[in-house]
Amino acid sequence: MGGLGANNHESMTFDLAEEPDRTLTVTLTGELDITNVDTLASAVKPALGRSPQRVVVDVGELRFADSSAIALWVQWAGAVPEIELRDVSPLLRRVVESMGLSKTLNLTP
Amino acid sequence: MTDSGPVSTAVEPASVTGAGEDLGDGRSLVRERRRLPYLPAAGVAVLGLVITGVLVWLAASTYANNENRLLTLRVRDAGALIAEALPSIQTPLASSAALADATGGDVQKFRSFIGPSVGTGRQYVSVSLWRLGASGTSLLSVVGTSPVLAQTPARAVSFFTRAANNAQLSVIGLLQGPQPRLGYAFTSPGLTGHFVAYAESALPANRHSKLQSSSSFTDLHYALYLGRTQNSADLLVTDLKTLPIGGHRASTTIPFGDNAFTFVVAAKHPLEGTFAQRLPWLIAIVGVILSLGAAFLTRRLLDRRNEAEQLARSLERIAEENRRLYAEQRTIAQTLQHALLPEGLPEIQGVESGARYEAGVEGVEVGGDWYDLIRLDDRRVLLVVGDVSGRGLRAAATMAELRFAIHAYAAQDDPPAEILSKLSRLVNVNKSGQFATILCMLVDVGRRRITVTSAGHLPPLLISNGSGTFIESEVGVPIGVNSNGGYTSTAVDAPPASTLLAFTDGLVERRGESIDAGLARLERAATSRPTDLDTLLDFLVTDLRADGADDDTAIAGLRWVD
Repeated sequence: MGGLGANNHESMTFDLAEEPDRTLTVTLTGELDITNVDTLASAVKPALGRSPQRVVVDVGELRFADSSAIALWVQWAGAVPEIELRDVSPLLRRVVESMGLSKTLNLTP
Repeated sequence: MTDSGPVSTAVEPASVTGAGEDLGDGRSLVRERRRLPYLPAAGVAVLGLVITGVLVWLAASTYANNENRLLTLRVRDAGALIAEALPSIQTPLASSAALADATGGDVQKFRSFIGPSVGTGRQYVSVSLWRLGASGTSLLSVVGTSPVLAQTPARAVSFFTRAANNAQLSVIGLLQGPQPRLGYAFTSPGLTGHFVAYAESALPANRHSKLQSSSSFTDLHYALYLGRTQNSADLLVTDLKTLPIGGHRASTTIPFGDNAFTFVVAAKHPLEGTFAQRLPWLIAIVGVILSLGAAFLTRRLLDRRNEAEQLARSLERIAEENRRLYAEQRTIAQTLQHALLPEGLPEIQGVESGARYEAGVEGVEVGGDWYDLIRLDDRRVLLVVGDVSGRGLRAAATMAELRFAIHAYAAQDDPPAEILSKLSRLVNVNKSGQFATILCMLVDVGRRRITVTSAGHLPPLLISNGSGTFIESEVGVPIGVNSNGGYTSTAVDAPPASTLLAFTDGLVERRGESIDAGLARLERAATSRPTDLDTLLDFLVTDLRADGADDDTAIAGLRWVD
């Protein structure tokens, strides 16, 4: 559950959008793992502090997520009333299911 | 806890000392090479100066040659002008001698003929007519001032005797007196002896005379000598205060009767212009500046190259140091990891057991993976495999906390579902950012019954008769997600001589690949050959991770023996 080593940083980009209906949309691309998950966590923290009603994590363009990425989403799920993973690939869906987190992360079957 | 990479790792004092010793030889080499750069720089300077010297010499000799050539041309011109002027001196005197001869020494005719040529500012200051006969030498007439020669009759006689045998103008030379004079004579053979027309021309008192400013030779210093040598006693006239003339000189000889004039000139200013004169100096100055500049530049370039080489060497040393520190850190991490894992597995009647832990390829940090085998009583064991998210000391600390907590709850004989529920109160992902997946299996060895409880963990593999099955059970949330989490256990019966393998995701997870593909690969590998448990575990951790697994891996196994 460690993720990649330090000399192997994968590229990850993210985009934050806060809607008037208090929806926070986090769009992720690339590979999210232990080497860059802290960057994303600190970037999203202020928006979470404004107590959004709902967090949408768009993972349609995310090629890989390790367990520390999933742990971060679980944190987000605990911080807001509603969470949604959008455009979940079969690979990622299988990972979330294997960890028993479908319900926590609101993955519809 | 993310890894910031080995480069930023602080250097320990001990290793600095070690590196310093290594520097010893390298430094002396550097010093050896540092002395050399001044040699090429000096070479450049010398080469530049030599080239400058050659150019200066060429320019100077060209200048000198041109000056000499121009001066020679000028002195020839001047000589020609003087030669053209000489007949105006010689012709009246020669004619007067011929006249005396034709008139038998008629003094009146002689006087009236030569009179206009005598006086201050004219050709002669004194002209006299002499008869040279068997009875002696007699002065017939004097026009102008008295001849200086008359004061020394003996000299006059010997000179006239010499002149009588000479068809051309005879020159006696310089005559000293209140005013220096040049004396010369023509003779003409008469019936009663030779008639001698003798003239004296005045020279400037100190023999110093400037050329007229209208002359085309005002750019020259000059000196006119009687004779063919530049003897100061024979100086007739010059524009200089002191002689001889210095610098570049040129001379020409102009025939004058039985003697000659030597005319010497030197340029007051360079005839080619001052630029040509200064060109060698200019070349010398510019050449020296360029040579020294090139040498300086060479030195600087060589210094820079040395600095770059030194930098490269220190970078190489730092890289070497980093490699060493990296290896050291990796060793420390693995030592710590193994210290946190069970020291040995308990002996249990009826089964053999084994476990492996492998750090990821970048395993410079401790990981959060672990395995454990806890003996509950004679026939029951608890086989646990877990994985704390993240890396580093925080993950390792959480892992140790969970591992020891499981030991404590197991000692209370808590069933696996209860153990996992209790663990849920120890970790909170919302506080620490960590969670842990745990597979907790209660194995009744004697009854070959396995009770599987999973907190978000991958299923165990049960191998029997060359085929493997993943034991599917209800998967609860990872520890740390829900403090009130409840877990459900699933029980299965194991066939005789079957093998149970529990593992973490590092063994099967690959980027861009489904977990199911990884699980299938594991199943194939685990059933590919019949071996003892230790060999199987070794094979799995090396073979399945051969393509460079980046995550750490824990695997534990039990095999029923007869």
